[in-house]
Amino acid sequence: MAVVVTKDFVPELVRTGGSTRVHKAVAPRFRVGDHVLVRNIHPEHHTRLPRYARGKRGIVEHDHGVFVFPDTSAHEQGEKPQHVYSVRFTARELWGPQASERDTLRLDLWDDYLDLVV
Amino acid sequence: MNGVHDLGGMHGFGPVNPEPNEPVFHHDWERRVFGVAIAGFGGGHYNTDQFRHAIERMGAVEYLSSSYYEHWLSMLETLLIERGAITKQELDARREQLSREAK
Amino acid sequence: MPDHSHTAPPSDPELRIKALESLLVEKQLIDPDAVDAIIETYETKIGPRNGARVVARAWVDPEYKARLLADGTKAIAELGFTGVQGEDMVVVENTDEVHNVVVCTLCSCYPWPTLGLPPVWYKAAPYRARVVRDPRGVLLEFGTRVSDDVEVRVWDSNAELRYLVLPQRPAGTDGWTEEQLAELVSRDAMVGTAIVPAQGAAS
Repeated sequence: MAVVVTKDFVPELVRTGGSTRVHKAVAPRFRVGDHVLVRNIHPEHHTRLPRYARGKRGIVEHDHGVFVFPDTSAHEQGEKPQHVYSVRFTARELWGPQASERDTLRLDLWDDYLDLVV
Repeated sequence: MNGVHDLGGMHGFGPVNPEPNEPVFHHDWERRVFGVAIAGFGGGHYNTDQFRHAIERMGAVEYLSSSYYEHWLSMLETLLIERGAITKQELDARREQLSREAK
Repeated sequence: MPDHSHTAPPSDPELRIKALESLLVEKQLIDPDAVDAIIETYETKIGPRNGARVVARAWVDPEYKARLLADGTKAIAELGFTGVQGEDMVVVENTDEVHNVVVCTLCSCYPWPTLGLPPVWYKAAPYRARVVRDPRGVLLEFGTRVSDDVEVRVWDSNAELRYLVLPQRPAGTDGWTEEQLAELVSRDAMVGTAIVPAQGAAS
């Protein structure tokens, strides 16, 4: 249901924003330190899983908490709230053996983007 | 979607070429696009995910050959019509009218 | 999935936004004064001077810095910077061992309350494509050279967390006030494409 933002409301809009964090107890699928494999998915719908990370292995470094899932939220299919993790990848894992052996990259990945490597 | 917006790792785009001390907006129309887009978001016409996906659906060639705020403009035209706030006919008519007045 | 077919080339963006805005105003779907206020806010009131204050505070106050690194959102809010595109903040610290750099490969996600709106280069294809794969090469374009024994850590802001780099406090600033320190902190240093250079007596 759309409303009209008035001039008087602008400061509050700017100051408050619209966090997509969901304050619900949702069980995480992963823990810090887990080795994960990014799913090799190629949805035609909206996703925030970049191609360069699909099928790559990383380590869960931090659990950011529960957020709205964009893959469903973009298509009026509900919030499907789930955990988002900061996952660390080595440069070589992403870009091959010629890449820096020291450098790393982090992506914030939802539960549904990952599988556990055992 | 596997759109061209998913740029990470691609080759061939050339140097970053940062513009020193650039203004927040380079054209007045960019200001208006920004303001309208945020007002639309704040008013609940679309959420951020729909916003982004509308841009992703622009089409690869158009995406790469247009500027950032042209992406936002495309998003506004797409979403406001899709979500029933305006019709394509109304928008086309208004454009035509303004175009005639500008001549 | 509905497809938006393009049968005609896009016309002048000025005309397009004028048509759109006038229609929305007529239908009372947007308030033009609100649009003006939004523009004014982001063009003149919110910018990297905010982030610079956060950085300077962290440099002088170790307890603030600890809070900032533990919960970026809360600590940044202590200075009054909150809201749109900054609702969930993470602050990442540059050290002698790690140099951080931030990008949004998929679009242009950027911490607006602390840095304002992003510059064109941050939102454009060259940076987004290259910095994840060749961050050192990109940094060199900005005149920033990271030593081989330092890890470059790239943060791709693909979710709703927004990242702010806490640059290292430069040498030669002992005893400086927060205001003086804040003046040194550039936007690029908080994105990670620059560092804050050492301050010397001889320039």
